[in-house]
Amino acid sequence: MTQNTLTSHQPLIELREVNKTFGAVAALSNVSMEIRPHEVVGLIGENGAGKSTLLKIMSGVYQPDTGAVLRDSKEAKLGSPRIAAQHGIGIVHQEQSLVPTLTVAENILLGNEKSSVKMGLMRWSSMRSKARKFLERVGLDVDPMALTEALSFAQRQMVEIAKALAVIEDSGVAPVIILDEPTSVLEAKDIAVLEAEVSNLKKLGSVIFISHRLDEVLRMSDRVYVMRGGQIVAERKASEADEEELYRLMIGRETSSTYYQEDRRVPYQATKPMIEVNGLSVRGQFNDVSFAAHAGEALSIVGVTGSGREELVRALFGSEPCHQGSISLRGKQTTFRSPRHAVAQGIGYIPAERKAEGMVAGLSVEKNLVLATPKVVTKFGVIDPRARTKLAEKWIRDLSVRPQDPKADLGRFSGGNQQKIVLGKWLLSENQDVLILDHPTRGLDPGAKEDVFRIVRDQCEAGKAVIILPDTLEEALGLSHNILVMRDGKITGRYTCDGENPPTQTELLGKMVAGHVD
Amino acid sequence: MSTDTLQRAPLRRITADGNWRSFVPVIVLIVFVAIISAIEPTFIGAPSLKVLIDESLPILILALGQMPVLLVASIDLSSAALASLGTIILAHSLQSFGPGGLLAVLVLTTLAGALNGFLVAVAQVPSFIVTLGALGLWQAAALIWSNAQTVPISTGYEYIGWLVDQQLAGLTVGVWACVVLVILMSLFLYLTNAGQALYAVGLNERATLLTGMAARRTKILAFAISGLSAGLASILLAAKQYSAAPGLADSLLLPCIAAAIIGGCAITGGVGNPLGVLFGALILTVLRVGTTVAGVNPNAQQIIYGFTIIVAVALTIDRRRFSYIK
Repeated sequence: MTQNTLTSHQPLIELREVNKTFGAVAALSNVSMEIRPHEVVGLIGENGAGKSTLLKIMSGVYQPDTGAVLRDSKEAKLGSPRIAAQHGIGIVHQEQSLVPTLTVAENILLGNEKSSVKMGLMRWSSMRSKARKFLERVGLDVDPMALTEALSFAQRQMVEIAKALAVIEDSGVAPVIILDEPTSVLEAKDIAVLEAEVSNLKKLGSVIFISHRLDEVLRMSDRVYVMRGGQIVAERKASEADEEELYRLMIGRETSSTYYQEDRRVPYQATKPMIEVNGLSVRGQFNDVSFAAHAGEALSIVGVTGSGREELVRALFGSEPCHQGSISLRGKQTTFRSPRHAVAQGIGYIPAERKAEGMVAGLSVEKNLVLATPKVVTKFGVIDPRARTKLAEKWIRDLSVRPQDPKADLGRFSGGNQQKIVLGKWLLSENQDVLILDHPTRGLDPGAKEDVFRIVRDQCEAGKAVIILPDTLEEALGLSHNILVMRDGKITGRYTCDGENPPTQTELLGKMVAGHVD
Repeated sequence: MSTDTLQRAPLRRITADGNWRSFVPVIVLIVFVAIISAIEPTFIGAPSLKVLIDESLPILILALGQMPVLLVASIDLSSAALASLGTIILAHSLQSFGPGGLLAVLVLTTLAGALNGFLVAVAQVPSFIVTLGALGLWQAAALIWSNAQTVPISTGYEYIGWLVDQQLAGLTVGVWACVVLVILMSLFLYLTNAGQALYAVGLNERATLLTGMAARRTKILAFAISGLSAGLASILLAAKQYSAAPGLADSLLLPCIAAAIIGGCAITGGVGNPLGVLFGALILTVLRVGTTVAGVNPNAQQIIYGFTIIVAVALTIDRRRFSYIK
């Protein structure tokens, strides 16, 4: 890469009045923006605001209908991701695109192995040293010959970035790295690593950073573009903007001080435990866990990756066998042999991986809605399709799902609307007294999050116990009555949030991370 | 995302999934009949069409059984061999139990199918392997039991003969029985929770498990239906041939899978409907009978056959799953 392009002040990439429509829908209208050298540009907007389309145009997946993309002030036709890479534009995708069964080196050089091939044979030593170079550049200390699936989530994210760097290596121009929601599934300590990485990348070239978390965008970016309805509605210097303003620009309405609807956090029925866990253990995962969740209570369990909280809730749902301890449901001791068994007794579970585990893409909204309790629309064992459609229409209204089409394929809905149906599936039956929500707001935009919070409050009011593995500590504090902190498979802290002295985020973090001094 | 909702709305009233691709089997059928009739005009006459429909029935029955297995993203390679074995069982059980022999065959083949399902769902052996093994097993059992001989059915033939002898409105009872079968299958798939579960499990098994659905039971059910259909096919075949024979239905294995796939079933699971399978079976029969009628060199018939399968699937397959578009 040549130094003079880096030092000049012309934009590395410029978009001029780009338009893109799909069918009758304008995904982007007259979008103009520029990415300057050594700059981190934040891009925010709700789901469906056009961020993804914009990224795909910059990375060569889509071509604009009208308008132009300029690279170093010269018009560039980015006809494919390969051509975009030749222009130094690399993208780190939101959903990880690594092949888990290949080595780290193979993944980094995937599609760029040519220089390591001699007479049709792979030269592993050359692959290894090349991969090591890119790993060093992102500051990740792993063996390039390790299998990718053995890496932690955060490490794989770094490998993704190394891969993006490898793809654009030979372009000879200053790199522009697009990070598509890199933090949405990272834990707090991993986010710090990523932040360091972003400032590292800034030395090499420029970064476009997409996130739903406004605080992170403000912290990491120099400049922020706000998108809404396929347009760029604002451009702000990060130093001059605040979260409130960005939120307002993004949503198009005032930010509500009642984001978590804290006024609706009414006292729960402390005398009526819905689910009680005593000395529960799963070997190697968590040990001697005891707690109770009561009717009307929102209980958050926080902890970093490896704390055992994911395994704990899976055990509460019968998908992981326990070897010690007991579970009581509505005051009666019970065991959950399988998810099916747990559902029959009144547990509802929303997995973190919505697309892979939470919903059935390819089935209509109404069919997804009745998946868990199909009997609500059957008479004498026969499905009443009209009743099913009517029921779906009611829930579509109640949960404000868009579009309002009970027969449309749920797989084609936006994440927020999908999640509302996934949640709705557990609300059809009166029997579902305990709801376990594993990262219910992961990857959702603020508007959709608010809707999910509203549903949680509604369910508490209806006397259900809601156990949440929240996305952020802020969410835990805003939403729940009580918080359990887990570390290394044990409960390390219990806090009450609706009382006089709610815990601070630092306090919680102190119990989450080992070696942290309170 | 919602761009094509508008233009697809009227279509959805007619087709199950609101997709023009559902019509491909119908169009292919019409095109083939038109081409063959142009070459040989008598093909479109009532006598030859009746023969054609009668010919299509065993493929149709087996394909209707193959469909639920394809819906749960599996495959049953053993159903045609089981139908062959079924004819041998039928020949013996008609002698021993009279009309009860029919029931005995259906129960045994259903159990044989369920056993496949058990090995797939519970022992988690891939269906291709399980049913490949079962295919050999049923073939050998039929050969051993019959001493590799054709077994004529004389005692008790009256209990199955009506399927091909009796006529109703110009068509054999067997044809009407198959019409009823298609209707029953459709009602089962659309109006029962077990039928709906076949689609859900095929599209996302993990999600159905975590929703508390009986995914394993659903898979076993799919294979049991395939077994039942093999039993039904064996009764019809035996009635047609006045005899049982090892290998009687074996040649129907690939046609029945092809019929289901041409009829719109996705080999990846979760997509398919009985009406499409009906057209798939008709298309395959038109190809087999029609190419002979049209005077195509028998050695070259397989070319048209192979070509049709690939083109029909290429037209029918839903590429949305592979696209970037969100």
